Amino acid sequence: VSSANGRRRRRRLTPGPNTLLALFPSAWRRRYGDELDALILDMHADGRDTGTRMRIDLLRAAARARLRGGGDPSRRIRDGASLVLWAWALFVIAGAIVAKTSEHWQQALPGQAAAHVAFAVFTVIAVIAAAAIFGGIAIPAPAVWRLLREGGWTRVRRRVLRASVLSATVIVATTALVTWAHRLTVADRNGHDHLYAAAFVIWAALVAACLLAWTAVATRIATDIRCDRTVLRVQAWLAPAVALAMAAMTAAVLVWWAVVGAYAPGALTGGTALAHPSPVVPLLALAAALMVFATGVAAVGAVRAETAHAQL
Amino acid sequence: MPSTRPNDPNLLILTSLASGEKHGYALLQDIEQFAGVTLGPGTLYGAIARLEERGMIEPAQKSGRRRPYRLTATGAEELSDALAEIRAIADEGGRRLAARTGVAGAPA
Repeated sequence: VSSANGRRRRRRLTPGPNTLLALFPSAWRRRYGDELDALILDMHADGRDTGTRMRIDLLRAAARARLRGGGDPSRRIRDGASLVLWAWALFVIAGAIVAKTSEHWQQALPGQAAAHVAFAVFTVIAVIAAAAIFGGIAIPAPAVWRLLREGGWTRVRRRVLRASVLSATVIVATTALVTWAHRLTVADRNGHDHLYAAAFVIWAALVAACLLAWTAVATRIATDIRCDRTVLRVQAWLAPAVALAMAAMTAAVLVWWAVVGAYAPGALTGGTALAHPSPVVPLLALAAALMVFATGVAAVGAVRAETAHAQL
Repeated sequence: MPSTRPNDPNLLILTSLASGEKHGYALLQDIEQFAGVTLGPGTLYGAIARLEERGMIEPAQKSGRRRPYRLTATGAEELSDALAEIRAIADEGGRRLAARTGVAGAPA
């Protein structure tokens, strides 16, 4: 038994480098994984501490490597900006859910200044952040044009076609849905007509898919373009600005939700006041979780772009 | 440029490689010997990756699973600058301390 315990203890003390190395980015692992593994085995063979402290050190190094990203500073700035763009796309989807659930809440809660201020802050920052995102996409336009002319089109053609087909589908679906909505009552439009509700969910999913498809086009192009320093500096500046804006908007939505949930929970379902007396609305909870997640992703992108900026 | 903190992993690795190429474990042992600092394997390889990316060190011929690294001309220049800064701070500190001791020890 004692021998078996000893074997177990030894096995537990064995670094388990493969498990820990798996946490590093794959490109990093391909380049340094074998050497790091050899180093850990050398340390272990020499009777050095390969326990908790070493595991923490490896975890910290893996987190840093992931935050930092790989490649030259130009590549890391573009990767960071792409992450922020993905995060923004998710945030827009979450914001649309909030916008749907917040329809008509003002009438139900005229006296609560905190909710009105929080909602106004959310709206104003959303407009500014959207302008920053469009700016970030527009500024490298000459470099994008150059890339497409130099053969880059073949690499993005499939993605562009997919996004274009989705866009056309969204236009047709929107026209059909608006025409249908005009023939319905307010109550029907807000959940009483189950067929319309199902069609609305499908339409919303199509819009989200379209947004994500164009984001995929933009981030694929960002991988290949060659930007000058000024463009990269602007991107590195915009990334943390957008991430901060997302953090502020998330905080504003949480404040708004808390106040409306406390004083008029029925208003949180958008037009079906008092139909849902609980402040915990699953759709709103999903939107808030998505906002927090997207803000985290944007923060990673911002750190990556900002650290690379310092080395540009 | 590496930090001028004496326990900065980048500075320690460049200093170690100034005496010749070394692989990961040899670096670890050398740094422990001359600086009394034990770097974790993740910290060591994180710094190696950054230094290689900035062209301050370069990999040499691999021997088995171990790969030695050596200082580049850029790395030697950066190390020299960092050491000059540390030396300037040390000299200034020494001067100030001597002046302070002189004042404290001066007759009233």
